[in-house]
Amino acid sequence: MPAISLSNLVFCYAKGDFVLSCPSLDFPHGELRLIMGANGSGKTTLSKLMCGILKPLQGDVRIFGKPSSALSLGQIGSDVGYLFQNPARQLFAGTVWREMVFVDELLGRDLEASAQRAQDLLERFGLGVLKERSIYNLSGGEKQRLALCTLLMGGAQFLILDEPTVGLDRRNREILYTIIDDLLEEGRGLAVITHEKELISRYSNARKIKVERGQVLV
Amino acid sequence: MKRADPRVKLLWVLLCTTGALVFFRPMWMLGLTLFSLGGTLLFGVTLQALGRRLRGFLPLALVILALHILFVRAGNPLVIIRGYPVLYSGGVMRGATTLLRFFVILCSAAVMARENTRRVLTALTKLGISYLFSFMLMIALRFIPSFSTSFSDALIALQLRGVELKKIPFGQKIRLYKDLVLPVVADAVVKSKELAIVMEARGFGALPTRTSYLDVRMTFADWVLTCILFSLGLLSFGFYYLFG
Repeated sequence: MPAISLSNLVFCYAKGDFVLSCPSLDFPHGELRLIMGANGSGKTTLSKLMCGILKPLQGDVRIFGKPSSALSLGQIGSDVGYLFQNPARQLFAGTVWREMVFVDELLGRDLEASAQRAQDLLERFGLGVLKERSIYNLSGGEKQRLALCTLLMGGAQFLILDEPTVGLDRRNREILYTIIDDLLEEGRGLAVITHEKELISRYSNARKIKVERGQVLV
Repeated sequence: MKRADPRVKLLWVLLCTTGALVFFRPMWMLGLTLFSLGGTLLFGVTLQALGRRLRGFLPLALVILALHILFVRAGNPLVIIRGYPVLYSGGVMRGATTLLRFFVILCSAAVMARENTRRVLTALTKLGISYLFSFMLMIALRFIPSFSTSFSDALIALQLRGVELKKIPFGQKIRLYKDLVLPVVADAVVKSKELAIVMEARGFGALPTRTSYLDVRMTFADWVLTCILFSLGLLSFGFYYLFG
């Protein structure tokens, strides 16, 4: 069973100025898919359909076998993580540590286990020394890694990364590639939206999905 | 009326928002709400567009409503649990009035958001308001949709971390919204600072006056509409103060 499965999608924004159509397309576990296309072609719209932020006019989106229309965003979020193009938009708590345990605190989960998991993830993503730092004082790369950590804290098995290399310097890009490699090794599925040549050539073996003027070309 | 002069629309907004602040009686607020809704539709805002705008602010409106219902202790008790009144008629009325007030303000925002910014700026300048002030006002208005988008993005991001908002108890939800609003406000402050720098870098305010190619002129229909709105405003506010 694929992590995300799209079948004959048609989507149109309320203003009616943009239509996206997509034939049947599967995103399996443990594999990387690159979604490529020019600015405004519909890459982000496709990714938002994949994780239920947007609902299609026609067709079907299945997340781990269940139709996305029958799932709440909270239920989808337990399986699928979405990294925004601007990760600052998905950080709310005051410090790095509070951000990590924010959801577990909110939902009253076992805080000891949560703290251990948060500590492990922060160390793994090179953020261990920044635990007490305010989220407003993090660099772009650090914010992105922290946002990724929070998605993994939620237990997401499939991650959608919306243009993750934008605004990152070479060092931070290398860190990101290592993270992508590690996540794939762990068996998580990934869909990365990009038009960055470096990322595309680095993952040249990954299957590529092109989006052109609202048409998803498989 | 879709192409009405921005000054007519501003007069209508002034009447609606003043009414929203002045009227406290529910029936008056209801009348004002209908007047606002009618005006919004006549000025070319579709029901769908208004609905979309409302949906974005719905969580905030519901929190405001709940706060009024729970904390305003006036009028007759409506619900009593174990001898302790938890819901008062005054609270419900106040909550409903506040919700209508919210709606009126949203209608005004929807009409002005549909209008071309430069036309409004020119209209305000023709009314004798300084260009600097008018420009600041327009920029501030532009921040409202940006604020709403940031808040809805934050809500989506939170849910995509596995939080089912419907399952969170009400009190906790309010604390959560407070946590979400803080970064959204911080983001707006940062954006406004950046905007100020960009504007200064482009020479904004370097000269005391500014030439505009665009001109707005009041047509006969605009004058008629202005007279009607003025009369209606004078009559309703006068009547409210004398007999309301």
